Amino acid sequence: MSSGPLLNLIQGYLKVATDRQQVIAANMANVDTPGYHTRDINFQAALREAMDNTTGQQLGTASVEVEGLPERPDGNDVNIDRESMLLSQTQLQYQMGVQLIKDQFSTLLTAIKE
Amino acid sequence: MGLFDMMSISASALTAERQRAEITSANLANAETTHTEEGGPYQRKEVVFSGTSISPFSTVLNRLNRFGQPPAGSVQLTEVVSDPTPPVKRYEPGNPDADKTGMVEYPAINPITEMVDLMSAVRAYQLNASAVNSAKQMIQQSIDILKTS
Repeated sequence: MSSGPLLNLIQGYLKVATDRQQVIAANMANVDTPGYHTRDINFQAALREAMDNTTGQQLGTASVEVEGLPERPDGNDVNIDRESMLLSQTQLQYQMGVQLIKDQFSTLLTAIKE
Repeated sequence: MGLFDMMSISASALTAERQRAEITSANLANAETTHTEEGGPYQRKEVVFSGTSISPFSTVLNRLNRFGQPPAGSVQLTEVVSDPTPPVKRYEPGNPDADKTGMVEYPAINPITEMVDLMSAVRAYQLNASAVNSAKQMIQQSIDILKTS
């Protein structure tokens, strides 16, 4: 099926978006935990990793601590504005991925029906 | 399942922040309580939050044995501690809780501190509620893939 690789790519994209959204949710959950440091996923590196990994066995993408954010006196450096912005951004990226998958399927369906 | 894990992470924060708001409300309500079951005035309570580890190792471990365990990255209220600040004394000889010199011990509670704490808890609650909404929308969108054509 010609649309296979593209579907795989979009699937990896959705997977990475979901993982990143989970890390952002964890940052938001720990907004009041003393000593917590903001974590994030490098989107492009994670997507490349998801593409190279063709076995289908996917472990959670490793998140890393974000450097250079100002720390509060309790040692926590979660920035609410940054997290809210990333939450919306990742949600839109996910929506785009879903739309692309839907388009793939409707193309396929058109080919079947014609 | 990433999206459902995301929901339970946000839900753990909702629970923790609600408990924090409850403790803060209890502090406000008991700002003038001079008599408790343990004796003496009410003691101000404070909450202790702690996050679960989100190292790659614990993430994988959580996936292998996940029942009853919160997903990596969630937050928990682990302890409620008493504020050791000594009580404030006021001269009220008519009060039944007054000592021999006519002084009554009141809890050392500053309403402004409590209000700020309450506001902070409410804001954090709102933030995590919006994260839950975001997860819900994403799950809905992925269901919509099935409805194509």
